[in-house]
Amino acid sequence: MAGRTRSTKKLSQRIDRRYFKKSFPIPHWRRVLSVALTAVGLVWIGWTVLAGKPAYNAGPVAHAHKLVGNDCKSCHEQSSLWGTKTSDKACLTCHDAPVHQAAQTFTPECTECHVEHQGSFKLAATPNATCTQCHSDLKMKDGKTNFAVNVKSFSDGHPEFAAVKAGHAPDPGTIKLNHQIHLKKDLRGADGKPVQLLCEDCHHSNLAAPRVRPAVSNVDAAAMTSNIRSVSPEMTPATFERDCKSCHPLEFDKRFKDPAPHKDAKEVDAYVREQYTTYIAQHPNEIHEQLRLNQDLPARPVPAAPRNAAEWVNQRTEEAERLLWQKDCKECHQLTYPAPMAAPEIPKANTTTRWMNNAWFDHKAHQLVACAECHTDAPKSQKTEDVLLPNIATCQKCHNDSANAAAANCSECHVYHDWSKAKPVKSTATISELKR
Amino acid sequence: MRIDRTHKPWAMTAAVLLIVGLFGYVWYAASQPGGPRGGTAVGLTFGIIGYAFMLFEGLLGARKKVPVWRLGRAQSWMRGHLWIGLVTLPLILFHAGFAFRGPLTLVLMILFFIVYFSGIFGAVLQHYLPKMLTSRVPLETIYEEIPHVRQQLRDEAEELVTTLAVGDDVEPVDKTRFREACKSTILPFLEAPEATKGALASEHESVIVFDSLRRSMPAPLHPILGDLQGICEEERQLIRQRRMYHWLHVWLLVHVPLSIALLVLGGVHAILALRF
Repeated sequence: MAGRTRSTKKLSQRIDRRYFKKSFPIPHWRRVLSVALTAVGLVWIGWTVLAGKPAYNAGPVAHAHKLVGNDCKSCHEQSSLWGTKTSDKACLTCHDAPVHQAAQTFTPECTECHVEHQGSFKLAATPNATCTQCHSDLKMKDGKTNFAVNVKSFSDGHPEFAAVKAGHAPDPGTIKLNHQIHLKKDLRGADGKPVQLLCEDCHHSNLAAPRVRPAVSNVDAAAMTSNIRSVSPEMTPATFERDCKSCHPLEFDKRFKDPAPHKDAKEVDAYVREQYTTYIAQHPNEIHEQLRLNQDLPARPVPAAPRNAAEWVNQRTEEAERLLWQKDCKECHQLTYPAPMAAPEIPKANTTTRWMNNAWFDHKAHQLVACAECHTDAPKSQKTEDVLLPNIATCQKCHNDSANAAAANCSECHVYHDWSKAKPVKSTATISELKR
Repeated sequence: MRIDRTHKPWAMTAAVLLIVGLFGYVWYAASQPGGPRGGTAVGLTFGIIGYAFMLFEGLLGARKKVPVWRLGRAQSWMRGHLWIGLVTLPLILFHAGFAFRGPLTLVLMILFFIVYFSGIFGAVLQHYLPKMLTSRVPLETIYEEIPHVRQQLRDEAEELVTTLAVGDDVEPVDKTRFREACKSTILPFLEAPEATKGALASEHESVIVFDSLRRSMPAPLHPILGDLQGICEEERQLIRQRRMYHWLHVWLLVHVPLSIALLVLGGVHAILALRF
């Protein structure tokens, strides 16, 4: 090693002064790859444009817009030399969007709530913030409102349901129904054997009800009612024929197998009278038999034996109707008598089929949950006046803002547009136009 | 480039930018009813700032092309490249609202992530490897000069073996034996140093080989053996330098081309996004 020296001269001789003119692998491949990758990217963009599915698309459109998804001009209108804009006008070409509330102070543009290019999901399922931007500090043009003014989410500021909030009106139904008795274990069934009634024995889910929520607005009560009526209720009200008759038949005389019809008093009277008239015509030897009073009814004088068929029919009809009016019908209905000897008047059942007029509830989506889990007061309710709708706290057990909770979006229950004010959209587009 | 105290101003600037951006994003995300999106005014602002930072990042390459221009020290540019680059990804994510949406934006995001993390990988390498290079390669030369230096080392070794400037103290038989020993062990290693898996590629085994040669050769030849041992040691350092250089620079084959593609495609995205 002693013979070798690293003098400045020797070191300077080591430098090849033309080295920068030579090509070296790493810088060379850096340049090649830079050009190649950029070119590949640009070619790919060009190819997607030619294929009609441009890569610069901001994201897949919602399912409902798939048909026009590749025709940007359907929604993006030219607004300047280069720029385009999505305006409400473009949306309203195909859709109607009735006003939410006449007194609202602010109307957002369609795209502020219905954000497109976010994939295949329902555009109507708007984020909570689209509602709470107004409802967290609600202001009206006239300064007055009956609605809650500080709703930040379903868990924060949402009022109790009107039907069950303190001081709420009683159930307006007229049918005397004791849920507690009907849910007793030792109830006697139609065949006389003990029976345990279940909620679904009387409350039937309407399988024909639409899966899509109806056009319910939270704006105008009259409009709401008209909307609700146009939609079959999702839980059908109990009916006598289907749900009560098997245990509560309107029997009026053991001579007849068929009970009296569940109709108004005049029709019941006509039916009973016809039954007796037919019977005595077939059994004329019974005309002079004295009437046997029904022991279940209050004591009263026994009428004289009938002298003819008409008297026989009158006496039996009167006795049968006494049984029907004073025992069978009275068990469930509040009868009123316009005159002392007149047939009673039976009020309409007035069953409420929809308790939440400002919202929509889907029983089918909740069918896994036992009824009494939510309708907690039902098993102990004794009066018709009891409103058995669950309160908001019951819903919030599952629907809240926590990470593992069920969805608590406003749009789960509410609809923004007042569809009672909907106008028909001009149907002028052809299928080929849509499929451009 | 070592990450030391000289980076503090840039690191502080980056931290401030990140905190301001983060607070801005939290406020914006909470107040935007439809959720944060690139097309909103705030989203666009994040996008414009983010792309401007990306362009600044790209200018480092341009700056290196004109080293004599008075545009600030290269080291300052490198520090800015590192710290501003670190903030750029969060700003772009704020711009996108943490969603990738369309095919182009998805590709851009994938490119960005690769560029970002390859950059961090490179920064870590450049922090540790230069120090290692200084200690393990004291005879370091300019990388591009390595082939030229190798040729000189080979020439020098061949000249030593051919001339054998030791006078008549050594028997011709020993000279012949010495030349043959060198031609079979030393010169092949110098001829193809990185292809050889022989003893001379290892520092420890090289010492054994040369000690053995010294024992078998007459003393007048020992200084020549010493010179040849020095040449082999220099060659081994060049091998080490090449390996380290590759570690220091090969990641740029990913970082730089993808950065350029990202800048160009990002520009396309910006132009087309402004249209829609």
